[in-house]
Amino acid sequence: MKIFRTALCMALLTVSVAAGGQTDSTEYMRGYAAGRAAAMLEGKQESPSPQKIITNARMLGVGGVNILDTYISPEKYRGTELRYISHTTRMREWGTRVSRQIVHQGYVSHTENRSGDGDEIAGMYCFSYGAHYNMALCGGSLTVKVGGTLDADIGFLYNTRNSNNPAQARLSLAVSPSAIAEWRFRAWKRPFTLRYEVGAPLVGVMFSPNYGQSYYEIFSRGDYDHNVVPTTIASTPSLRQMLTLDFTLHRTTLRVGWIGDWQQAEVNNLKYHSYSNMFVVGIVRSFKTTRVSP
Amino acid sequence: MKKTVLFICTVFLASGLVSCIDEEEYADSPRGNFEALWRIIDEHYCFFDYKHETYGLDWDEVYERYSRQVNDGMTEEQMFEVLGNMLGELRDGHVNMYAPFDLSRYWSWHEDFPANFSDTLQRRYLDTDYMIASGLKYRKLDDNIGYIYCGTFNTSFGDGNLDEVMLALATCNGLILDVRDNGGGQLTAASKLAARFTNKDILVGYMRHKTGRGRSDFSGMEEQRLKPSVGIRWQKKVVVLTNRSVYSATNEFVKYMKCCPGVTVVGDRTGGGAGMPFSSEMPNGWSVRFSACPMYDREGQCTEFGIEPDHAVGITDEDFRRGRDTIIEFARTLLNS
Repeated sequence: MKIFRTALCMALLTVSVAAGGQTDSTEYMRGYAAGRAAAMLEGKQESPSPQKIITNARMLGVGGVNILDTYISPEKYRGTELRYISHTTRMREWGTRVSRQIVHQGYVSHTENRSGDGDEIAGMYCFSYGAHYNMALCGGSLTVKVGGTLDADIGFLYNTRNSNNPAQARLSLAVSPSAIAEWRFRAWKRPFTLRYEVGAPLVGVMFSPNYGQSYYEIFSRGDYDHNVVPTTIASTPSLRQMLTLDFTLHRTTLRVGWIGDWQQAEVNNLKYHSYSNMFVVGIVRSFKTTRVSP
Repeated sequence: MKKTVLFICTVFLASGLVSCIDEEEYADSPRGNFEALWRIIDEHYCFFDYKHETYGLDWDEVYERYSRQVNDGMTEEQMFEVLGNMLGELRDGHVNMYAPFDLSRYWSWHEDFPANFSDTLQRRYLDTDYMIASGLKYRKLDDNIGYIYCGTFNTSFGDGNLDEVMLALATCNGLILDVRDNGGGQLTAASKLAARFTNKDILVGYMRHKTGRGRSDFSGMEEQRLKPSVGIRWQKKVVVLTNRSVYSATNEFVKYMKCCPGVTVVGDRTGGGAGMPFSSEMPNGWSVRFSACPMYDREGQCTEFGIEPDHAVGITDEDFRRGRDTIIEFARTLLNS
């Protein structure tokens, strides 16, 4: 995945150079929305080959997390989480109302039980690929996107003092309806974008040991027992939300905001939750790709 | 499009309406810790039915009896004593409570019986020029009998170590495999050693696990099969020496070995410990260990309270005074006959 991300960065850099530089995302959104609205109203095309706009936000988040996993302990563990998010949106300038979204998230956390005697370390990588139908409202200043994402999560939770149940592997795949609202406005003669994104898993599958099953039975003996569990919104009622504000400082677009990632699952009579609430800050960049014929 | 928006809104609404997935947290008080501990065991312990049949364990009656002894004015030491006594009702060496100042335990399975092992005596047989391969002590005895002492399965020896040991003792007429005082370790190490004594894939027992909070919620019995090692395998007679301190993974090892051809078990009954232990914790941070995944022999019988040897032999006082290990001498006689 690192190679993929590096390749993606290289590709973005390449197309940026080929396009003659980057544009400010807020400026882009203003121009994009107005241009597209006009194109839609007039029902005509501006150019035979629409350019692809790629908007990438790279953010770092830090905040609190509350973790429960009854396979490991009936106690809740609380502590700090550090998260990196790469959030990319791809959209053609005109000709389609569908945008695509790729999100990579990686995070680690360290938590303690209420007595302070037990520690847990968690790590997770989450990949999300989605598509959204875009609707321009309020003369183009408000864009509402509805669609869905395919989410793949892999990670672990490790308790530093348990014996034969010291860790829990996390592996899941889910289809999640999602919605995004973006409001572009000006204040103090500066452009701003207020953005809210929400997604909740509807159906999927996840890995879980059975209630009292040891990992020795699963991986050393190959005794499987409902370890790949189909999930629905009833067994994994979770919500990922992100509220951010984009603003320009000199020639850079910054993003600040809040992420609320509330993951829950109750499968094989085991309960799991991870409630993360964190402050995020990052940089937003937009690129235009241009096809160059030899 | 309206239908799509409506559907997505319904999903988010449903997400919000579904209650939080949470677990009741007891207060960090003597009463709260008592309730939490009783419940952890109640929902996870795996031998309630077996121990009810064996000696009449009634966990609900245990609650009633010990609940009366708990009050919120207790000191930590008093609480530890009451809760430790409650866990002792399970008569299980895998059940422990870890406080910063003490460890609650039930060790009657070996403390109430003769040790039947003496490192002073063992030294007379090993002498000082024995060899050690990743924790396995071994040598040839005077009558050309191989002797291996495996004191723990916590150190995982490799196939290379076992090949070297087997090669070094290959010319011996028989082999004594002494696991006395081996309190267990990794099941994988136990099966790796046992795999040197079978030429066929054999059924050695069964294992299962809990599937829910009910005391009788269990999965089906899954076969435990011992596959022959691809390394050097022992083809001559073997005597396995046991005592009451053979426990947990070593109890499993003896169970495996009893299924292998040409193997005789000599010594005292093993200590048992047939439940793979899991951990949990109480509101005050004390850690708890308990049996979670029960294991059975190939007849489906529980080995929680130990395995009988083929020949029950103990070290006699007279032999001890003469510097002779009665159990080793009995094994030598068997192998030389």
